[in-house]
Amino acid sequence: MSRRSALLLICAVVSAVVFQAAVLPIHLATPFKPDLLLIIMVFLALRGSFELGTPTAWLLGLLKDVFSGLYLGLNAFSFLLVFLVIKSVADRLYAESGFLFVVTVVVATLISATVNLLLLLMFTQTPGIVYSMIAGLIPHILVNSFAASLVALLPAFARDQDVA
Amino acid sequence: MDLFKKYGFIALIGTGVFVALIFYSLNVPRNREANFVERGAMTVFAPILKPAARLSGFFEDIWDGYINLVNVQRENLMLRDEIKELNARVVAGNEAVKSNQRLESLLEMKNTVNAPILTSMVVGEDVSSWFRTMIIDRGSTSGIRNGMAVVAADGVVGQIVKVAPSTSRVLLLSDHASGIAATIQRSRARGVVKGKGDGLCSLEFATREEDVKVGDIVVSSGVGGVFTKGLSIGEVTMVKRGEYGIFQTVTIRPAVNIAHLEEVLVVMRGGYE
Repeated sequence: MSRRSALLLICAVVSAVVFQAAVLPIHLATPFKPDLLLIIMVFLALRGSFELGTPTAWLLGLLKDVFSGLYLGLNAFSFLLVFLVIKSVADRLYAESGFLFVVTVVVATLISATVNLLLLLMFTQTPGIVYSMIAGLIPHILVNSFAASLVALLPAFARDQDVA
Repeated sequence: MDLFKKYGFIALIGTGVFVALIFYSLNVPRNREANFVERGAMTVFAPILKPAARLSGFFEDIWDGYINLVNVQRENLMLRDEIKELNARVVAGNEAVKSNQRLESLLEMKNTVNAPILTSMVVGEDVSSWFRTMIIDRGSTSGIRNGMAVVAADGVVGQIVKVAPSTSRVLLLSDHASGIAATIQRSRARGVVKGKGDGLCSLEFATREEDVKVGDIVVSSGVGGVFTKGLSIGEVTMVKRGEYGIFQTVTIRPAVNIAHLEEVLVVMRGGYE
C-alpha cells in the first residue's frame, strides 16, 4: 500500500467513525444509520490486497466494536468473515463497477448482520435482539446501499484502481 | 464710401445694440405678456419640448433608479448583515435559555440524589442500529468507573459500561442487555426493567397477580445498589395478561427522551474496576 493510499484510508476511517458516532445520529433516526466502516471494508475487499486487507478488515470491525454494543470482537469477526468471502470471489468480479460495489455492500450487510445475530444468540443472553435486528435489517440495507452508491460516485472510486 | 467702410461696421454694431436696448425698454412695461416673438418661439418648440421633457424625465428616472438601486443594494447588504447578526443573537439567546432550563432541571435532580454527582456531556451514539449505547465526555480521569448509574433530569438513563481515560460509554436502559430493578410506584409491584431495543422497555418477572395498569409510573427499586430508590424510569404504556403463563407482559416508555439527551449526571457511587 502506498503512503498516499494509507493516508487516504486512515482519513476515511476516522471520518467514518466521527460521522457515524457524532454527526449522523443527530440528523438521522436510529434505523437509518449507514455502516460506513463496512462500506470501507467492502471497498478494500474488492480493490485491496489479501495480505493487507485481511488484518485491516478485522481492525475495522474491532473499531466498530469500540463504538458499538458491548461485545468487543463481534463485528471484528463478522467483518473478517465477510472480507474473506468477498475476497474469494473478487478476482472473478468487475471490481471497478459502481453497481457491483452497491450489490456487494448489500450482500455484505446481510452476511454481517446474520453472523452478528448468530454470534449474539450463541454467546450472549439477549434473545430480544433478534426482533430488533430483523426489524432494522431492511432499512439498514437500504441506507447502506444508498451510502455505497454515493461512494461509487466519488472520483476517487474510479481513479484508485489499487489501494492496497 | 471709404468713411462708411471705415466706420460702417462699428455703426452697425452700435445700431444693433441700440435697437436691442430699445426692444428691451419697450418690453419692460409689458413684461407679463408674451409678445409675438415669444409666442412664435413657444409655438414652434411646443411639440418638441413635450417629448423631450418626457425623454429627459425617463432618463432621469433611470439614473435616479440606478443611483437608488446602488444605495438600496448597499443598504440591503447592510441590513442582511444586521439580520444575520440579530438572528445569531436570537439563536444564542434561545440556546442559552434552553441550556439554562436543562441545567436547572439537572440541578434539581442532583439535589434528589444523595450521592456525589458528575455532570457530563453526550458526545456520541452507538454506531450500529441494534445496540443502544452512547458516549459521554468524562472517563476514568474524572473518577468514573464501570457500573455507575447515569441519570438525567427526567430519570434513569443507564449505566456506565466501558470507561476510557477521557470518555465512557453508557449502556442505555433501552438496550437489550440492560436490566434495572424496578417498582410500580402506585402498587409497589416489583420487576426488572429490560430494554427492548426499539426505544421501549419491558417489565420482566411481574407476575399475573401483580397490580399493574397503563399510566403507572415505574421507579427504581434500589435493589442492587446501582440506582437510588425512587428514580423515575418510565410510564407503563401497555399491559397484557395471557390466558396462560406466570408473568404478564408490561411495556414501558422511558421517562428520559434519549434521542434528545445533551447532558447527563453520573452518580459517583459504587461501580467497579
